[in-house]
Amino acid sequence: MDQKILMKNEIGKLYIELAEEYNFYAPVKEKGNIVFKKILNPDDIVLEYFNSKVPPKEVLFPEMEVLFEYSLDGKDVEIQDRQDLDEKNVIFGIRPCDAHGFALMATFFTAHGDCEDEIFMKKRANTILMGIGCNEPKSTCFCTSLGGHPFQKDDLDVMLTDLGEKYLVETISEKGKTFIQKLKWLADAKKKDVQQAQELSKKSEESFVTKLDLTDIDKILDPNFEHPIWKEISDICISCGTCSYLCPTCTCFDVIDETDEYNNRGRRIRIWDTCQSCLYTLHTSGHNPRNSCIERCRNRIMHKFSYYPKNYDQIGCVGCGRCVQLCPVNNDIRAILTKIKNIEKEEEISA
Amino acid sequence: MGIEIKNQEIENQMRELARNLLNEKKVDVIIGYAKGTVPLSSAPIMITNEEDIDKLIWNNLCYINLAKYLVPRIPQLIDPEGNNLKVGIVSKGCVGRALIHLAVEKQINLDDIKIIGIPCNGIINRKKVEKEIDEKEILEVSASGNDIVVKGKDFEQKFPFDEYINELCKVCKVKSPPTDASISEACVGECQEISNLEDDFADLAEFEAKSSKEKWDYIKDLLKTCTRCYACREACPMCYCNLCFVDQNKPIWFGKTTELSDIIVFHLIRAMHLAGRCVACGACSSVCPMGIDLNLITRKLEKMVKERFDFTSGIDSETLPPMMSFNMDDEQEFMLEED
Repeated sequence: MDQKILMKNEIGKLYIELAEEYNFYAPVKEKGNIVFKKILNPDDIVLEYFNSKVPPKEVLFPEMEVLFEYSLDGKDVEIQDRQDLDEKNVIFGIRPCDAHGFALMATFFTAHGDCEDEIFMKKRANTILMGIGCNEPKSTCFCTSLGGHPFQKDDLDVMLTDLGEKYLVETISEKGKTFIQKLKWLADAKKKDVQQAQELSKKSEESFVTKLDLTDIDKILDPNFEHPIWKEISDICISCGTCSYLCPTCTCFDVIDETDEYNNRGRRIRIWDTCQSCLYTLHTSGHNPRNSCIERCRNRIMHKFSYYPKNYDQIGCVGCGRCVQLCPVNNDIRAILTKIKNIEKEEEISA
Repeated sequence: MGIEIKNQEIENQMRELARNLLNEKKVDVIIGYAKGTVPLSSAPIMITNEEDIDKLIWNNLCYINLAKYLVPRIPQLIDPEGNNLKVGIVSKGCVGRALIHLAVEKQINLDDIKIIGIPCNGIINRKKVEKEIDEKEILEVSASGNDIVVKGKDFEQKFPFDEYINELCKVCKVKSPPTDASISEACVGECQEISNLEDDFADLAEFEAKSSKEKWDYIKDLLKTCTRCYACREACPMCYCNLCFVDQNKPIWFGKTTELSDIIVFHLIRAMHLAGRCVACGACSSVCPMGIDLNLITRKLEKMVKERFDFTSGIDSETLPPMMSFNMDDEQEFMLEED
């Protein structure tokens, strides 16, 4: 692992050097919200932030994405494939939880045999994740309850630690190492910088307010599919898509064909979809296996905390807390998970 | 009297009324607000046991319009035999308005409902407060005197209450649920009789003074961050369609993308569907995760309906709303040619 120092006032220099080769994404403030955007002016980059409102998944898996376009000429069809998939990206400032979100998405998008999601995976392979650890996690953060850590390095290529005026830069992956070696002007880190980073990491871990015990949550969920608790959990849900659209691990999308008959052309697009929408499971026959909030709320929890462990041996939530902060009716996932854990305890008591 | 003391009084009375309704078996369930798990929030709650009554709260963060839970939705509020549950619903003015309008639209039956009326003095504009606090974490929000007090790890900031409530609350004239002779049976708690609702809509003057291009630019800028999560629609007590126009997919009626034109079409057509129906609760703006304030659009519609039809939604249960009635001699100035 290489350890370097990047001064905060050198971010502009970093951008200028990288922007030639890479699409440089970083947090910016747009209409009061922190979001990851392709940077055109390095002065726009915001360095003081908890996390973005919309997860950086939107860089590689945007809300709306054109899969291909076509045009017709008599009987000839010409298909224009995506040209931008080989472009290289850097996501600067991604938080460790969101980087883990990418890992989970990649697991999902490659887990189905031949049906690998080529578009996502190509973009992912061409992307360097240059993450920044969280010195001050929010009270709604709970990554440590899910095996994560505010300074988790595993899912990043390069890890930055905010030391005040400067960042400690650590290379994690081979990709990250090659990437950083090209930036010859980065100074070497001193022992005390590394020490300071370790202290910050420890302090941050200790500051977590939300601690959930999620051991064997999948084993509690499976036999309780019909438990009355699901009604209680879903009573106040209004079935909007906030929790899933702002979730760094939600991968669902809908595919739509749009045709422009007058100009003999069209396009196939995909847009985010959500299992919280009634339309998501509506059959052509009119039957809907998830007709009410009860089944829909249950699906969200089951998918992340039962199906994910079962299929991929890991939980499908990273503990970023976005759904906690933004659910319109404050249907707090931490409270939901605690209730589910309590089912087991109640059963033990009654036994 | 400070806001917090007033709220406390309201809360005590509300709990007393709710407790009595449950005790006397006049209702099976109370729908109200509970404390949120994050600052600047509150959570709707459904209470069937008397011992849970103390979970009911009232403060200036009770932004959800609870009438939403009474419109036809699945699962319905019914007992095991399939009969409608009798519901007691904590109602600030705009919840009351929504209930009356839903009854006029024959979506709910007020015979099954007890309106626990409370006088609301305005809902905190969450997005405005968050914007001021910027990238610091808010840990506690309370009211004190005439201020909203926001606390975090290393800071405490005060905001004048009158300035930091929703724009719609600033011009609200229906603080408690409206009542008239025909629905007085349903009302317990503080309900107000409303006669002659005057409104000069002065708050719209600034927007109306803009040129068409400026207005259009404003709308485009307002809506551009929309993610189409439909929280606005799902929180709206008047959006109860089985299948929303924008969800129609056999065939698709409207574009579903997040291109600005599709976003605008969704919001403006939804607004049209709310003409003469919106009850100015502001829930759509309060719940928007991206902080989009839709109030100006609905407020403008309210003004147009008032001017053209002299109608305000959710005030009385007798008058038929303009979009539900017609006269043979209605003006048809929108027709381009006459026969």
